[in-house]
Amino acid sequence: MKKGIILGLIFTVLSVFNTKAQDCDSIYRVVESYLITSDDGRAFVSDGQVYTAFLDNEKAEFNTTLYGNTVYRIATSAGTKDDYAIFTIKDMEDNILFTNKEQSNSQYWDFKVESSIPVKVQTELDTNKKITGCVVMMIGFLK
Amino acid sequence: MNIGKTLFFAGAMASFFILNSCGDSSENAQVQKEGGKKIDKELLDPNRSFNTTFDGKLFSVPSPVQTALLIKSLSIPFNETLLNEKENINNYSTTTSQAINLGIYGADLGYIKLYEQNAKSLSYLSIVEEISNKLGIAGAFDKTFIERFERNSNVEDSMLVILTDGFRKADNFLKENDQKNTSALILTGGWLESMYFATQLYKQSKDDKILARIGEQKQSLETIIELLEKCNSKGQNDEYISLFNDIKQSFKGIKTTYEYVAPETNKDLKLTTLKSKMNIEISNELADEIIEKIANTRAKIVS
Repeated sequence: MKKGIILGLIFTVLSVFNTKAQDCDSIYRVVESYLITSDDGRAFVSDGQVYTAFLDNEKAEFNTTLYGNTVYRIATSAGTKDDYAIFTIKDMEDNILFTNKEQSNSQYWDFKVESSIPVKVQTELDTNKKITGCVVMMIGFLK
Repeated sequence: MNIGKTLFFAGAMASFFILNSCGDSSENAQVQKEGGKKIDKELLDPNRSFNTTFDGKLFSVPSPVQTALLIKSLSIPFNETLLNEKENINNYSTTTSQAINLGIYGADLGYIKLYEQNAKSLSYLSIVEEISNKLGIAGAFDKTFIERFERNSNVEDSMLVILTDGFRKADNFLKENDQKNTSALILTGGWLESMYFATQLYKQSKDDKILARIGEQKQSLETIIELLEKCNSKGQNDEYISLFNDIKQSFKGIKTTYEYVAPETNKDLKLTTLKSKMNIEISNELADEIIEKIANTRAKIVS
């Protein structure tokens, strides 16, 4: 009897784990498509990193440097069918340089950077649509 | 059917229903929670093991390819002596040394490809593949990757996209499988190698644009150290942290000033122009100090 309970529990836990991995993975593929397919056929070169976070009424953030004379694309998603993710770029003095909240939570946006600047990138879920879940973000640049 | 089998069957059925509710992201999969908010069932009760943040903090380091692009734009010729020697691969027996040198060889491969050194690129690609196998991330540089790489070996733009896609897949795999330290060390190696290129080529060319690029690394260096510290539960990064903290001491002497300028947004093009400016000042003495420290750190890591 104990063996049956243990096997059932193991099967359950493994199934849940596998499903969550697939969920993050499916979002990863959505975000990846925003870097590969640009509106005018340009291909963005990835910075080689994937920014993933499970959020629950909280924000995740990172600092980075955007180089001058470069066009970047920042893409994000928290679901395969809707605009659930919000991202905001601030300078180190906390001035908001951009937020996709003002652009209908657009899944991606391009940035032409005139001079190299350090910035803070924050991501969160639009709690009117989703309060907890996986958010994936990627950064690409034009060569 | 005995009780054990019944429970096993019940467990299997429960997992079946969980699988289905989690996999369904349609509108029908939403439920009403208190406060009237609609939440996807699939994202209730998230599995925290997938969280790749440290206390809500993520980490980002600019791609080493961007510094290689700057160097090439200045018409500085290809310099083979800057590359980590292929034979050094035999020196890397620990996971930490393999991971940090995978980042170094990856940056080398990007530099080689930018200068269209195709014969060399295949031999460095085989090194990247070999270390990836040792680290268990062969999936990122699998047969499909190698075929794409070889098929596009004369198309520089495609090559860069393919190469960085490979490293992004590796990064995703490592984070999902809770091997954050390996991911951190690959990033560290890539950053160090791009700094090695920049400092050595500045020594030769004295080009101000390269010097500015070196000064712009203040933020990235802080990120690297913070990341290595967060992943250092067993003290495996102690030596690296000490080396990079020594470089940080020199970076403290770099003077920066920032001027906020309002950005401009074009909604139709989905484009925002960031117009703020940062000025960097590095004295000749400080530049020499940084060049020496980067070279010494890199020599210790690749040897």
